[in-house]
Order: sequence, then structure tokens, then C-alpha cells
Amino acid sequence: MDTDHDGVRASLAAWAVGALEPGERRTVPRHLAGCDACAAEAERFTELVRLLDGPAVPPRRDGRGNPDDTAVDAADTAVADDTAAVADRAGDHADGVLAAALGLRPRTPPVAPHAAPYAAAVAGLRALLPELAGRWTVPVVHTWTAHATLAHLLAADEPLAAVLGIAPRVPAPHGNGRKGAGQGGGEGAGAAGWADAWNARTADVIAHELARTPEQTVAAWAAQADALLAAPEARDTGRAAAPATLMGMRLPVAEHYLVRAFEVWIHTDDLGRALGLAVPPPPEEHLWTLVRLAVRILGGALGPASPPVLFTVARSAGGEAGDQWVLGAEDKPVRAELVVDAVDFCLLVGGRYPPDAIPRTAVGDETAARHVLATAASLAWL
Amino acid sequence: MPVERTTDRTGDPPDAELHRRLVYGDESALGEAYAAYGPLVRRVAVRVTQSPVAAEDVAQEVFAQMWSRPYAYDPGRGSLRTWLSLLAHRRAVDWVRSEARHRKAVPADDAVLYAVPDARPGPDQAVVDRERSLLLHTALAELPRSQREVVHLAYFAGRTYRQAAVELGIPEGTAKTRLRSALRKLAETLTDPPDPAYERGA
Repeated sequence: MDTDHDGVRASLAAWAVGALEPGERRTVPRHLAGCDACAAEAERFTELVRLLDGPAVPPRRDGRGNPDDTAVDAADTAVADDTAAVADRAGDHADGVLAAALGLRPRTPPVAPHAAPYAAAVAGLRALLPELAGRWTVPVVHTWTAHATLAHLLAADEPLAAVLGIAPRVPAPHGNGRKGAGQGGGEGAGAAGWADAWNARTADVIAHELARTPEQTVAAWAAQADALLAAPEARDTGRAAAPATLMGMRLPVAEHYLVRAFEVWIHTDDLGRALGLAVPPPPEEHLWTLVRLAVRILGGALGPASPPVLFTVARSAGGEAGDQWVLGAEDKPVRAELVVDAVDFCLLVGGRYPPDAIPRTAVGDETAARHVLATAASLAWL
Repeated sequence: MPVERTTDRTGDPPDAELHRRLVYGDESALGEAYAAYGPLVRRVAVRVTQSPVAAEDVAQEVFAQMWSRPYAYDPGRGSLRTWLSLLAHRRAVDWVRSEARHRKAVPADDAVLYAVPDARPGPDQAVVDRERSLLLHTALAELPRSQREVVHLAYFAGRTYRQAAVELGIPEGTAKTRLRSALRKLAETLTDPPDPAYERGA
């Protein structure tokens, strides 16, 4: 009868909290009847569980501490008790709990689909900000601290803000109010000119912001982001179809919103890495909107004469096939097939991977495949 | 290839995806987490505080924390169920402690707390049980995280030890062993007062 002593002994804690598999429960009382040592431990554990349970349902608990009663139903009733009643109350109070929580973060504003990725990226960066408390001087990317990275984003959102008629948050140096922001990536800048103006403006804004507190920089960045999301162009698809040249790219305003989403996410990811926190990629739908935009820009940069490559961007979660494009010349046979992960591709385009370091699968002409990756990396806007 | 370790067959939303949506401000993710884990959070809080009103406050705090600081939870370190359960327990113990600080009188006789209870609980027994229950929950909150996780899944969340083992990614035998170590440690707190000076009446 006591051949199962060791097994029951090891199972008594699970039995006492009601966590044995149904088929295993019967062996315990049978053994307890003939084993004083196990019965004593069972009694201790049962008493313990009775106390942990509290007095929520007193009638069932009577006798829990009585050895005669420990055998059969203690384990079965240990967990069920007040669950149903508590769950009912949860339904009644859901609105209060959810409303209280929702009040603690800015609500994501209602915007058209083209601005939704930017709205989500802004919410994602805001979610990371509490983790930066006391760590604003941590090095992030380039020579930037976390504080400087926020200042950079303030500068980087500025050209789109200028196009939408939103005044810059940081005055341009030398009282040159119209030049800094508006022309940083504006129509007048030449192909190389935009990058210089962009870098100069970032340097100015960082210098300006580092003389202030991180909270002030965050407030300025957030206010500008909110203004971008409150602009008519964020809600009206028709108005967002108007083209504008920013960062050397002539794109509809709607796609400039996507570029902003891309940059905010990449820098949020930078900040997360600096803090040792894994920043999840944007919501799947947004991620793929960004991937498709980046592939279009990559296709344009490769041009029609480049050796054709069958380019597959794979879904990050699980083995699903992703989307495919033929990049380069359309009238020639494909020279290579290249597969990269969606998030990795975005990091490559964002300048966060050297072209030879990105995980990838390639078959065929290695030179053609490398050309695609090198071109993607050279787009690095950020 | 990334492994979806937090997906389970209970119909609960996969944690990594839920966390992603929480981070990006998707309000429906808050609602889903609340629907899936609200009852567990309240159950934990009621058992510790023995007060539905306090449990309401605890639930509000726990979900406020999850929504306002989504990075406090890391899906790479464990399930959202376990994290919420641990957080609810910690907050509930804190609530009771702060409640106790506000009370003027301490229970009459400390020695009673560690005495073997009568077979038949009398009116005073309820008070003693209340104190001993709090003593146990406080001790539970101090257990090593690995043991607490199993207790939370097997006791509060109603998982079998096998389900708990799967959710924690540990062997079944290890789940049983941790559960037993935890309960033994808790049982000791009932028989051995944590601080000898306490017993001497210091």
C-alpha cells in the first residue's frame, strides 16, 4: 500500500493547493490513511492553505484543520471558492478600473490611416519615457545621450511641421527665424544641401535643449508631435496627398508621416537598447506599411538598370512568407534571391545594421544581392 | 527563429503581442488584458486584504501600472498572468501593511499568533486567523521569485502543476519541488516567529 510514499510525499504541496492532475488526486487520501508522516505534512499544508484562503466562504472552511476532513475535499475546494463572485464584481467595476488607467496616458488621437503609424510611434516613445527617469545622460547612438536623442527628434520632426505651418519650438540661431526649420529639408535645398542643413539644425537644437531640463525637451517634442497629429493633414487623406520635398525626398505628405513614424520608432529602439529594454516593433500593420515604403524608396535608389533581385521581406513572428518584389531591371532574368526579416530590413534602412551584418538568406549572384543591401544601408536617414 | 513561448491554449492573448499593443497605446489591449486577468488580480487581492473595496483599489493600481508603464513588464521574463498576479499580491500586502500602520492598537498577545489553533475556532480564532493569514501572505511575498511564480500559478491562478511547469518552462518535477519548498517555508513562518526579539516581547 505504501509503495507510492515518495510520489505522494512529493505531491502533497500540489495536492494541498489543488494543483494535482485530476487522475492523480485519488492516490493521496489512500496513502494518508496509512502514513502518519505524510498525514502530518498534509495537515500542515492544508491548514496553511486555509489561512491563505482567508475567511471568504466560512461554511466550507469549517473543519479544514481537522485531520478527518483533510483527505478528500480540501484540495478540490481550495481554488474554486470565491472566484466566481470576484469575477462577477470584476465585470461591474471594469469601467472604473479601465477609465482610471486610460487617464494616465494621452489618448491616441483619431487620425487617418496614413498618420496612424506616427501616432502609435509617438505613443510608443511616450511609454518608454518613464524608464528614462534619472538616466537621461546614458549614451544612445552617435554621440548622443538620451536627452540629445529626444532633442534630435524635436529637430527631425520640424521640417514636416514647417510644411504644415506649425511654428518651430526652438528659435533658429542668429535670429534667422525662417531659415533653420523651413529650409532644413525644404524645397530649396539641393541633394547634398538638405543633409548639411539637417545636421546643422540637429546640432543647434541639441545645443539648445541640453541647456534645458530633459522634461522641457520632452514637453517640446511631445507638443510638436501632438501638433503634427492635430494638423488637418493628419486627418484628411486628400490634403495629405499633396507632395512635399523633405530630406531630399519628394513624397506625398502622407508618406512623410510614415517617415516620421519610422524615425521615431528607430530612435525609440535605440533608447530601449541603451536602457537594456526590448522595444517591440510597431504593430504589424504599421510595420508593413513602413516596409513597403522603404522598399519603394530602395527600388528608386537602385534604379531600372541595376541587376534584378527577387527580394523577400519575411514576417518576423513565425515562419509565414512575407511580401516579394523584383528590384532593379524588369526586363532581365532575376540574378539573385534575397530574404530578410521585416524588422531587420527596417533596421538596415535605418542605418542600424552594416550591410554585411544583417541576417539574410541569399541564393544566386552574391554581388547583386550585396548591391541591394549596400544600397538599402546607404539610405540611412537617421 | 523566435519561439512564441507565451502562447497557450487557454484562449488568453499571447503575451508578446499584447505587450506590443500596450506599448503602442492600443486601448483594446488594456481591455483584453483586463478581461483575461482581472478576475485573477481581484482574487489575489481579496485573499490578502479580505476586503472587496481594497481589492478594487488594488486592481485599479495594477492595471494602471500595466497601462501607464508597459515596460515594467518584460514578456521575455515570464507570462503576463504571473506578472500581474505577483504585482497584485505585492500591492495587496502593501495595502494591508499601511492599513495596519494606521491602526492604533496592535493585536493583544503576539504569542497567540504562533500557537497551535484550537480544533474548533471560536470568535477570537477569527482574529488570530486573520493575523496569521497576513503573516503568511507577507512571507509569501518574500519568497524567491522562482518559488512565488509556481505558488501564484498553482494556487491563485488555479493551474495544475503540469500547466504551471509548461507556463514557466521548467520540468514538472521542478514545479512540484518548488511548490513544496515554498509551502514548507511558509509553514515555518507559522511555527517560527521571524524575529526572536518579537517573541520575547521586546
